[in-house]
Amino acid sequence: MEAILIPSGPSHPPAAAASSEAELVSGALAGMPEAWEALLVRCRKTSYLVALQLLGSREDAMDVAQDALLRLVRSLDRFDTARSLTPWVAAITRNLVVDLVRRQKVRRADSLEALLSQGGVEMADHSDSPEADAERRELRARVARAVRELPPLYREVIVLRDYQDLTYDEIAGVLEIPRGTVMSRLHRARSLLRGALASGTPPKGGAG
Amino acid sequence: MSGPCAKGFPEELLSGYLDHELTQADEQRARLHLEDCPDCKAVLGDLQILREAAMTTNFSEPNPTEWGELPRGRASAAFRSLGWIVVVIWLAAVVGYAAWELATGPERLAVKLLTFGGISGVSLLLISVLIDRVRTARTDRYTGVER
Repeated sequence: MEAILIPSGPSHPPAAAASSEAELVSGALAGMPEAWEALLVRCRKTSYLVALQLLGSREDAMDVAQDALLRLVRSLDRFDTARSLTPWVAAITRNLVVDLVRRQKVRRADSLEALLSQGGVEMADHSDSPEADAERRELRARVARAVRELPPLYREVIVLRDYQDLTYDEIAGVLEIPRGTVMSRLHRARSLLRGALASGTPPKGGAG
Repeated sequence: MSGPCAKGFPEELLSGYLDHELTQADEQRARLHLEDCPDCKAVLGDLQILREAAMTTNFSEPNPTEWGELPRGRASAAFRSLGWIVVVIWLAAVVGYAAWELATGPERLAVKLLTFGGISGVSLLLISVLIDRVRTARTDRYTGVER
């Protein structure tokens, strides 16, 4: 199977998008090009979004996502199809992010405003009125900004739970911490966000 | 903003309750407490708003053309590795045979030395380039990507 160019169109085949993860992994391992492409595109998206929120830099997130894909390809045959793919991709991505931060190779973070003005952040809306939509957009932007200001310890748990919708057990696996620690750290992170949004100042939190 | 629960309820259970991640006993405990504690109920409401805001935020991906290509398939990578092994074995066989022919051939010693010297010099140059290329490939993070 040769390299597959990503289609330049805005979306990927709906049939592929609707496929289950297990089917995609099985298809990719069996050498089906469509499954291979759909699987990698899906994983790349997850990895990019996790990395983007942990690092704040679009270019770094793209590099990390590319690296994550290569690692994923190398270890795909060891993946247990009974488990969900997202935590696995998130774990690979998080480890790459930690490596990058340790090596102090992180680029300067893009400002959220810059991402917004370039269309880098789009908000999903179910409009009942333009005012309500505007309020929701404003709240999402404020939350996203506050999340970026969180200490990394808390930011990663919020990203994995509230943006990637991982379960506590999955987060515990990704971060290699007990499940109870996930719950207490997540609550601490949410409390910091709540305080920051109420006071209008960046969240302040130690490691505890 | 309210502080810690005046009734001493462990606050992290509110997050667990919100996420449906509590044990049955803890969930019942939280539900009963929330019926009775407006402060914790207010905190839970705020946490719910935060979570909904996060869950409905969609960050767009880079344009597909910015990504370049996906990593090549496993079959392609396997064939490429096999190809390299065959090429190296073939090259070693050709060089060995040529060296044997040169050493045992009827040519004069001077011709043999000139030929051996020339080939050795060019080979050393090629090997040095090859070493550099291998070293570069090892540190290239996109080495598995079809260009």
